[in-house]
Amino acid sequence: MQLSPAERELVKVTGVGKTFQRGGRRTTALSGVDLTVARGEFVCLLGPSGCGKSTLLNILAGILPYEEGTAEVNGHQVKGPSAERGMMFQSPMLFPWLTTRQNVAFGPKAQRRWRRSAPTAATTTAADVDEILTTVGLAGFEDAYPKELSGGMRHRAAFARAIISRPSVLLMDEPFGALDALTRAKMQEFLLDMWERFQITIVFVTHDIEESILLGDRVCVMGGRPAGIVEEIPIELGRPRGYEDLETPEFLGIKRRIRQILMPETPGRGRRQPVGATSAEDRR
Amino acid sequence: MTAIDINVADRHTPAWEAGEETVDLAAQRRRARRARLHRTALKITGVLILLGAWEIGALIINDSSILPSVQNTFSTLVHYLNRPYPAASDPLWKDIVVSGRRILIGFVLAVAGGVLIGSAMWSWRPLRDMIDPVIELTRPLPPLAFIPLLIVWFGIGELPKVVLIIIGVLPIMIVSTVAALDGVPPELDQCARTLGASRLYTLFHVQLRAAVPGIITGMRLSMGGAWTSIVAVEMIAATSGVGFLILQAGNYSITNLVLSGIIAIGIVSLVFDAFLRGLLRLADPSRPVSE
Repeated sequence: MQLSPAERELVKVTGVGKTFQRGGRRTTALSGVDLTVARGEFVCLLGPSGCGKSTLLNILAGILPYEEGTAEVNGHQVKGPSAERGMMFQSPMLFPWLTTRQNVAFGPKAQRRWRRSAPTAATTTAADVDEILTTVGLAGFEDAYPKELSGGMRHRAAFARAIISRPSVLLMDEPFGALDALTRAKMQEFLLDMWERFQITIVFVTHDIEESILLGDRVCVMGGRPAGIVEEIPIELGRPRGYEDLETPEFLGIKRRIRQILMPETPGRGRRQPVGATSAEDRR
Repeated sequence: MTAIDINVADRHTPAWEAGEETVDLAAQRRRARRARLHRTALKITGVLILLGAWEIGALIINDSSILPSVQNTFSTLVHYLNRPYPAASDPLWKDIVVSGRRILIGFVLAVAGGVLIGSAMWSWRPLRDMIDPVIELTRPLPPLAFIPLLIVWFGIGELPKVVLIIIGVLPIMIVSTVAALDGVPPELDQCARTLGASRLYTLFHVQLRAAVPGIITGMRLSMGGAWTSIVAVEMIAATSGVGFLILQAGNYSITNLVLSGIIAIGIVSLVFDAFLRGLLRLADPSRPVSE
């Protein structure tokens, strides 16, 4: 696929810095971060707790204001939250008083793009909602409330809700962190499947090395103090990927390399020390 | 990535769906309904046991001026429902309507005010810091302590009764509104914003909406207090209402009429609470049916 220069820099972060101020103490959570993401790319932000990866994601989402640098998505400066940048959180955050169908329709309704019928390119109808629910495997559960769904189903509903407005980028903040191992594996497969299907651009925050290699086209390892992107590692494994790939030598090689970045051998002290100790971010 | 478009269609037998823990919606809802029925049966049993104990007590005492039997009480209740009883000119249903009206007027005003003030306090910190101590200072005071003051200020008309209800209900509604809004996870609001909702849309459709169950729970809590207040003030300064009826009947030692009044209050407040619970179920359909 040929990308235009603008598409090659769909997400463009230049020199972004963020300082938190609490009780007169200033903590620099991020400093001089540069990141570009191309259209259709799957980028993972990997790092230990407090390395600023969620901070960066929240800045991109427009949830968190930033003082230094610029963050642009699709040529627009990020100034606040927008439907153009979809976001998924660690828990699905479905609205408990709405059915699955109503949850998915929330975005279009809030943006006044909801039409009962007579669809145009800019509007969404009930048929669109049902179609996407079928795609994510929730046919038959359109009228169920979130409490009635299983853990994986809730995440898939949240995915449908985030994707229905076709955002230019989907930001995911450790979305599967709270799931059990099996559901989590299924959700990773689901996400890869959907990513190929919808050709979405994804920025995915995780602290799980394997997850980042399995999913990403590129892994940005974060750490340091003040935190930033320490190294970008392109993942040149074939697609589609699956759990069988986890044991291949190539996979293990990348895994070892990333681990060495995150936990370098410190000579003379004989023990491993993680990069990027805690900052204020995760204590928020 | 060019080859993907072609591959996806036949590859798409979603592996991520295989072996998914099955969720049978119909069965789940059937189970919930059965559990609800079961619980209703138990509730009725509880009430029957209470009535049985009362009947046995009445049989043992065998003096209807101290403890009339169940059927004596209920026939009195039915008898005086639309007939004026001795020492008063109004039938029972009128007293119930009078008391119910006083409560509803005060309650609706207090709930509206409480939600409004609570939301304002939640969205504007300085206001919260200012009003919080006022509530903390006045909340422990029993509303009944204000009755003499209210009589001095407003006489013995309808106004002091309504004001008394407001005094009791308003602080509870403010506190529960603020607490309910505090309890809405910030991610829910962020989520709505990233779905394209404006700040105002989010306030009404997400934050206040998410707080509704907590607000209704506050309404249920304060409803009990409202009945206490109204009966007390009707006993002290009124010529109508169920409280007045009970006091009058007590003065004339008509025990079965006293009990009829009490039961009437019980039934009416049960109806009010059932209404609020219905609202709660509407507001929060995914709530487990435990309450």
